[in-house]
Amino acid sequence: MKVSQRSIKYYVFGFYLLILVTWQMLFSAQIIPDYMFPSPLQVGQRLWELTRDNYLWPSVKATFQRMGIGFSIAASAGLLIGLFMGMSRVVNGCLRSLFLGLQTLPTAAWVPVSLLIFGLSEHGIYFVIIMSSAPAVAIATSDGIQHIPPIYLRAARTLGTPGYAMPTRVMLPASLPSIVTGIKLGWTLAWHGGVSAELIKSTIGLGFLLQMGRELNDAAQVIGIMVLTILFGLLLDRFFFGLIQKRILIRWGLAQKS
Amino acid sequence: MAAEAHPPAAAVTERPVKLKLTGVSKTYWNGSQVVEALQPVNTEIREGEFVVFFGPSGCGKSTLLNIIAGFEDVTKGEITLDGKPVEGPHHDRLMLFQEHGLFPWLNVIENVMFGLRRKYRFKWKARREKARQFLQMVHLEEFEKAAIHELSGGMKQRVALARALAPDPKVLLVDEPFPALDALTRAKLYWDIQEIFQRTKKTIVLVTHDPREAACLGDRVLVFSGRPGRVKADITIELPRPRDINDPVVAECANGIMAQLEAPGE
Repeated sequence: MKVSQRSIKYYVFGFYLLILVTWQMLFSAQIIPDYMFPSPLQVGQRLWELTRDNYLWPSVKATFQRMGIGFSIAASAGLLIGLFMGMSRVVNGCLRSLFLGLQTLPTAAWVPVSLLIFGLSEHGIYFVIIMSSAPAVAIATSDGIQHIPPIYLRAARTLGTPGYAMPTRVMLPASLPSIVTGIKLGWTLAWHGGVSAELIKSTIGLGFLLQMGRELNDAAQVIGIMVLTILFGLLLDRFFFGLIQKRILIRWGLAQKS
Repeated sequence: MAAEAHPPAAAVTERPVKLKLTGVSKTYWNGSQVVEALQPVNTEIREGEFVVFFGPSGCGKSTLLNIIAGFEDVTKGEITLDGKPVEGPHHDRLMLFQEHGLFPWLNVIENVMFGLRRKYRFKWKARREKARQFLQMVHLEEFEKAAIHELSGGMKQRVALARALAPDPKVLLVDEPFPALDALTRAKLYWDIQEIFQRTKKTIVLVTHDPREAACLGDRVLVFSGRPGRVKADITIELPRPRDINDPVVAECANGIMAQLEAPGE
């Protein structure tokens, strides 16, 4: 069966509607007690209350501020380290295994270390965000640089590009498709790490609201904040990094306009 | 196109020597033995001369071009440009590649502007003006904003040609630029390249395995033979320009070049 791009959207919409309806039906069937399993309506209501009482917006803002600053530092550091890895086989040999190892570590595992080093301060959250995401960006950048078609480097050299200008004029632009993939992955990991750190270390933020919900035994708040966290993560992935990635791929001729 | 009078070969020999190759040879170690990729080559390429390196694949012609460009080291011998020994890649010996090598992150005009940075430092407008002139020369001025992947194969090669000519190199090195193109596009490019050659009076070294291409474009053809690579013959072609690739005279000349390649060695 051939399904057009347009009607796929309706299917997707129907799918989420189905999830909501099933969720409501499970709730109405009263199989699980409702203090453990709230209805979509209760979740929505709780989120509205949080908004009304001015809890939600400052927390969303705080989380995004931390993510924005933390991830900018992580991405810049990852880019720079990745550049050195891409240009030197020695640096690459040393750091690649280390970074791949660090990536197998769950991002939440950085939280205890950050507590030891930074206590309950704000810096610790940045630390977790950076440690969670910088290695992914570095590895993607070095991969991209190592896989630059040699002809681009030759062409740049024959056109008189001096050695010091190669990274900015040729290497980084040539590996952009790989770098943006790394940044997308890095963002997801940073989001994981950031919210995990907020669970324990903060008095404001999405992670904090999640933890507060647990302490108050408020299942509606826990699930509501989870849904919001998923939603924000998804929105940024699809509509911010996703659109940047798409533009680059179209420019390169690797994807079609649609 | 009217056939303009081209300076006869005699005039070429009076011009100053641009590139001088003295005993240039290349050997390498393939893991078990020494392979002689190129036996010593001695030749002089004069200013404004169009020299073609012709031969079968594996005859060392591309190796020699890469050596001149500075992408490969010589094993023995010396190359001088305007009397000065050459070392490493440099924009005065600009290479036009087989696979165009245009940068996909830049659009057409930005690609042509790329090599102009050195000359017009911090002068973006001057760079763009210069790049426009060269795009006009290859008849692509309407496509200056296009992305590289939007161009056809022939257009990409034209942009690459404009990009290579824009920095005004002393020598243009061309590595089999047309094999992937259809016959019509190629014929058009042969016209253009000759027109540009006559207009700019560039010194050009072109590598090909197509005898017609050699006969159509070259003032002089160095015939290479393979295993070990060496120069077998040095032929001067005195046909008027611009030459048509489909002209029987050019075809006849190509046969002469082939005969030199197949002739028994000395």
